[in-house]
Amino acid sequence: MALNQDKVGETYPSYTYEVTRAKIHEYAVALGESDPRYLSDGDDCVAPPTFAACFTVIPGGAALFADPDLGTHPALVHGSQRYVYGDRALRPGDHLDCTPRIADISIRGSNEMLTVEVECRFQDTGELAVTSEGVIVFLGSAPQTEEGAA
Amino acid sequence: MSAIEVGTQLEPVTQPSNLTASVMYAGASGDFNSLHYDQDFAGQVSPTGGIIAHGMYSMGLASRALTAFAGGPENVLEVAVRFTRPWPLGTSSTFGGEVTEVEDGVATVKLWGDNEDGTRILRGTGRIKL
Repeated sequence: MALNQDKVGETYPSYTYEVTRAKIHEYAVALGESDPRYLSDGDDCVAPPTFAACFTVIPGGAALFADPDLGTHPALVHGSQRYVYGDRALRPGDHLDCTPRIADISIRGSNEMLTVEVECRFQDTGELAVTSEGVIVFLGSAPQTEEGAA
Repeated sequence: MSAIEVGTQLEPVTQPSNLTASVMYAGASGDFNSLHYDQDFAGQVSPTGGIIAHGMYSMGLASRALTAFAGGPENVLEVAVRFTRPWPLGTSSTFGGEVTEVEDGVATVKLWGDNEDGTRILRGTGRIKL
């Protein structure tokens, strides 16, 4: 079943994420990071840039996958990912408001490319923390041509 | 940071992907797709027939090389990658990059990730503050 093109532009409900020191540590260790600030117990603790994966990839897609009118299915791969950052690195104690939106649905051969944008803002100032743009490739579900469907 | 100009290379990062690394990344990122640690499941759905690393693990390592070059996460403006080929578990990959443009205090860096078998698993771009 093909994805529903009418969903392009749809915004899903915002969710919140709290950045914690333990999660930054865990993420940095998983990547073999050596910057001591990622492992710091002090005020200098910051998160590595792709720490944003923790609150954008799975949580950002959750509402879309739960939407029965969108038509997602499990045969998929992560095609590409982009993060654009605000003015400062994330720190423990940051609270973020994250809003997913379907930015695009396109077809490449027999596959469909769904672009999910998640805009994440600091709850206290409203300033941009990070924007995530992920492309999920749904394998084999592109609509058939009229000829093929006849 | 001095002498950053077009052609300057990042210090490469080489990292193995094995079951421990994959489970650690799954736990850290919250992405528990069985494709990344369960051989029975991967045997049915994986493009390689085996377990493959998270794409985001490879992006994290490319970003690690970029961020070290930038002098910290506060200097990273943007990271964007395409996952061009799967990274089979049990192999190492190396991530690096090269400055392609310097303008108005911002450097654009071409990023890449190469598996030990020579396959390019990731291509991307970063932008950093100088």
